[in-house]
Amino acid sequence: MLKIEKLESGYGAMQVLWQPSLEVSRGSITALLGPNGAGKSTLLSTVLNSVKPWGGKVYYKGEDVTYTPSHKKVHKGMALVPEGKHLFPNMTVYENLAMGAYLDKALAHKSESLDLVYTLFPRLKERHSQMAGLLSGGEQQMVTISRSLMTKPELIMLDEPSQGLAPKLVSEVFETIRKMKYDIGLTILLVEQNVDASLDSADYVYIMHEGSIKAEGVTEKIKESKDITSTYLGV
Amino acid sequence: MNSKLKKYYPLLPVCVAYLILFLVGRNVTGIWQLVSTLLFYCALGQAFNIFLGMTGYVDFGYVAFLGVGTYGMATAVTGLAGYEGLGVGVIVIGFALAVIMATLLSMAVGAVALRLRGAYFAIATIGVNEGFRYLIEGANLWNGSSGMIFTAELNQILGRDLAGRVMTFWADILVLIIGVAAAVVTLLYMNSKIGYALTALREDEDAAKVMGIHVTKFKIIAFITSASFAGMVGAASWALKTPYVFPPEVFEIHYTIEAIIIVMLGGAGTLMGPLVGALIYGVSKYYLSIFLPGFQLFIFALVIIVIIVLFPEGVVGVLKGKTRNNRLKQLIL
Repeated sequence: MLKIEKLESGYGAMQVLWQPSLEVSRGSITALLGPNGAGKSTLLSTVLNSVKPWGGKVYYKGEDVTYTPSHKKVHKGMALVPEGKHLFPNMTVYENLAMGAYLDKALAHKSESLDLVYTLFPRLKERHSQMAGLLSGGEQQMVTISRSLMTKPELIMLDEPSQGLAPKLVSEVFETIRKMKYDIGLTILLVEQNVDASLDSADYVYIMHEGSIKAEGVTEKIKESKDITSTYLGV
Repeated sequence: MNSKLKKYYPLLPVCVAYLILFLVGRNVTGIWQLVSTLLFYCALGQAFNIFLGMTGYVDFGYVAFLGVGTYGMATAVTGLAGYEGLGVGVIVIGFALAVIMATLLSMAVGAVALRLRGAYFAIATIGVNEGFRYLIEGANLWNGSSGMIFTAELNQILGRDLAGRVMTFWADILVLIIGVAAAVVTLLYMNSKIGYALTALREDEDAAKVMGIHVTKFKIIAFITSASFAGMVGAASWALKTPYVFPPEVFEIHYTIEAIIIVMLGGAGTLMGPLVGALIYGVSKYYLSIFLPGFQLFIFALVIIVIIVLFPEGVVGVLKGKTRNNRLKQLIL
């Protein structure tokens, strides 16, 4: 579904990505783990081309999309749930979601997507007329995820969705991610620092450190390899 | 049909306000001068709001668009002075030239500055009007610092009587029409996908991006629209009303600051805001200069601080909040 080859990028003169390569296969949950400053968020931004790639390739469904502008990538079915709560605090939950269906393609399926989101997050249905800024942290994260679901994605990239949430909500978020895979059939690239929870949900794991991929494997293998987990993940 | 029409209800108070302004100006002796200033502020605010209000970006070089608009009209009038047969057509050509020049300048500025965000954009634009002024003076464009005086040409083309009426009356009416047109365009944008895109990028540019919105495109649309209205305001209010142009006068950052005060005071991003802001600002500036001459700027500095701290959404923003649950709400936008 998504294939990244020796991607390079950075900010100003500082290079952040040192040729990581990875692959996300259709219908899987692929986790990208690593400590702070490893370049995980930069990788996602570069994949979407909101940070310009310096070199390397990004393939989406076999097509070279390395330099395709972000908005066109969203149109093609790639979605990014950015880190932190990038929602519109002065709009209601419903208005936030409706904004997600901005593209014509998404607008055509608006009511259908809305039903889907409300079944996934019944709490958002209850709160649809509340200002998004007044919701709890966990609910705000639900709105951000839901808004990206409204764009009708096939691949969804989540940037630290459990960040700053209470433990109970963290497990709720991961439950949702699994539902997105099993119930909706989405392909998921998950960037996380919460190692345990991610290892429980993911099919395949990449470990990133200082801008490049240091290890990869199916989840069971990574879990077993004490070397990897203790060196890079501190588990 | 009815619900479609409802979308345009908010234009009603705008038109009523302009009508009252016009009638007061025509019927109260000695007040046209004030009304003319108010019309200028209304149009300036309404035009600036399309960019500042809808995108949340502050352009400190905005007056440059009025300046080049003034030069556009001046160029048309002086260049076509020999073609008396054109008559009023010269003014139409002047407006077209003003719009084209303002658009070109906004594309040039936008291509560079709109890549920057928030405060960086504001800083990048501060120099635009000064830079343009010194370019005109230094490169001796359009007579450089000696400016252009084209009263004689205007008289020659339109005839002395009509030219006089244009300077004292029709120029102001044109400014009024430009103000109304800017309000109409604002509402059209608000009611379309452009408006949604602009709202999204104003609230959170990163979020707008991941929703598939081509943020740069919409920023440029708002910037160009706003700039071309500014060009027309300059052409009407500065070139036709006072048929001369000097670089230091038309590239004066003071007007940009006034435009910012007007939009913030009335309510950025609202339809009525610039109008309300212009009336409050214009009238109080007029009376302050009579009763407390020299203190206007000091007082406005305080006023703007108070507004930003107490009600950042401006007068109309507050009104909008208050009327959310009653019948007036469809009139206030």
